[in-house]
Amino acid sequence: MKKFILSLGLAILCLTAMGQAKKPTLMVVPSDNWCKQNNYVQVYDNQGKTTTVPDYKVALQSDPDLQMAISKIEEMMVERGFPLKNLEAALKSLEGQSAEDAMLTGKDGSEVSESPIDKLKKTAKADIIIQLTYTVKSVGPKKQIDFILRGLDAYTDKAIANASGSGPQSFGTNIAIMLQEAVLSYLDQFNSQLMAHFEDLAANGREIILRIKVWDSFDDGLEREMGDDGTELSEVIEQWVSEHTVAGRFNTTDATENMMLFEQVRIPLYNEKGRAIDARAWANELKKYLKNTYQIESKIMMQGLGQAQLVIGGK
Amino acid sequence: MKKIALFLCAVMLFGTVFAQSKKKMDKETMEWRYEIEPAVGQGAQGTYLVKVWSYAKKADKATAQAPKNAVHGILFKGYAAYNSGNVRIAGQKPLVTDPAIETQNEDFFNDFFADGGPYSKFVTLVGNGATDIIKVGKEVKVGVVVSVQKDALRKYLEDAKIIKSMNSIF
Repeated sequence: MKKFILSLGLAILCLTAMGQAKKPTLMVVPSDNWCKQNNYVQVYDNQGKTTTVPDYKVALQSDPDLQMAISKIEEMMVERGFPLKNLEAALKSLEGQSAEDAMLTGKDGSEVSESPIDKLKKTAKADIIIQLTYTVKSVGPKKQIDFILRGLDAYTDKAIANASGSGPQSFGTNIAIMLQEAVLSYLDQFNSQLMAHFEDLAANGREIILRIKVWDSFDDGLEREMGDDGTELSEVIEQWVSEHTVAGRFNTTDATENMMLFEQVRIPLYNEKGRAIDARAWANELKKYLKNTYQIESKIMMQGLGQAQLVIGGK
Repeated sequence: MKKIALFLCAVMLFGTVFAQSKKKMDKETMEWRYEIEPAVGQGAQGTYLVKVWSYAKKADKATAQAPKNAVHGILFKGYAAYNSGNVRIAGQKPLVTDPAIETQNEDFFNDFFADGGPYSKFVTLVGNGATDIIKVGKEVKVGVVVSVQKDALRKYLEDAKIIKSMNSIF
């Protein structure tokens, strides 16, 4: 009887835990503009083109004010019930991973490049990136802080929340306190914009982009007939996407013999096990479906969390 | 015996008059005739400092309505930004973003805004309730500065499932 009650209790506990989906997480980072103004940037080779991206690690190590500013914003968001990922911890975890090449090269030489920021997003897996810009200016003997907070969907880079303003003039020099004074009046509006986005996520799913390409060696490309009824591979893929999106929400932006582009694809936030699904996990299901049903091999290439590219016809 | 009957009649009459006056005040409450603006000053964290201008025929009635009006304003109206010289106060959107929620939860808000109802826990008069009085036709417009505990108010409404929280979405 004791064992029965114990098992019953455990079962109820498991069911409760499974029923509660994970909350989306936020990560506060200095904005690209702030990093550039303060010379915390790194240059990387993006397929032969020199690209400048923020160097968060150097910024955090060199600017104690930045750490305080980020901590203060994090503290205010946590107080309001938003779960957070810490930038410094994400950078450490990124460093700990085996070094990945910036270039991912397929068999036919086609390439998908990932910026260091894309890699960071993949490591941290935060849903929302909050970019912080602040400048402290002197007004006579007093100081005043101006700030901009921008909430970006980490999957689509779309801006979902914005707040900007100035703090009161003060004799203080503590950046964190000045920032808190300035941000507090604007934070409720910012949070209500975030909440509206979360409500949309919960109701309509996460938005991603899916690109389908074919290797040169794959005969007939996406026009290959897959059954006796003349159904083409592109139709099979479109049908799968339709069945695996929330309320069938997606947009086939482009479709040719060699490529398909699906935008505004709304995928479920979590799978049946309660695990968060990103574009890779979702596209991987399509890959498995093509392999198991039609014996077609394919390869997934990723850009950040929200853009998956499935190249059909080989690995 | 005659005196007792007279006394009883007087008590009943007084009771009816008092009830009617209270009823009228409730009616004035439900009309929500007020304006809300940010007040200059430093409120405590988690509060909004606002000046609410309430209309009534008598100043004391308008003053009595001020706390209810302030909470109602924070919930359903929000307020515009204030800019004057070096003083800038950010505007705020209402806590309840969907206007339909007020009518959908009519019973809840009737109880909430009843005299001495739960709304009173979230509002405090500032400066001993000092008022600014302006005569407007046959009425008066009374301005009172109050502090509304918006974080606690939001939590209360989230717990009552009137507005959505992170926990209710996910």
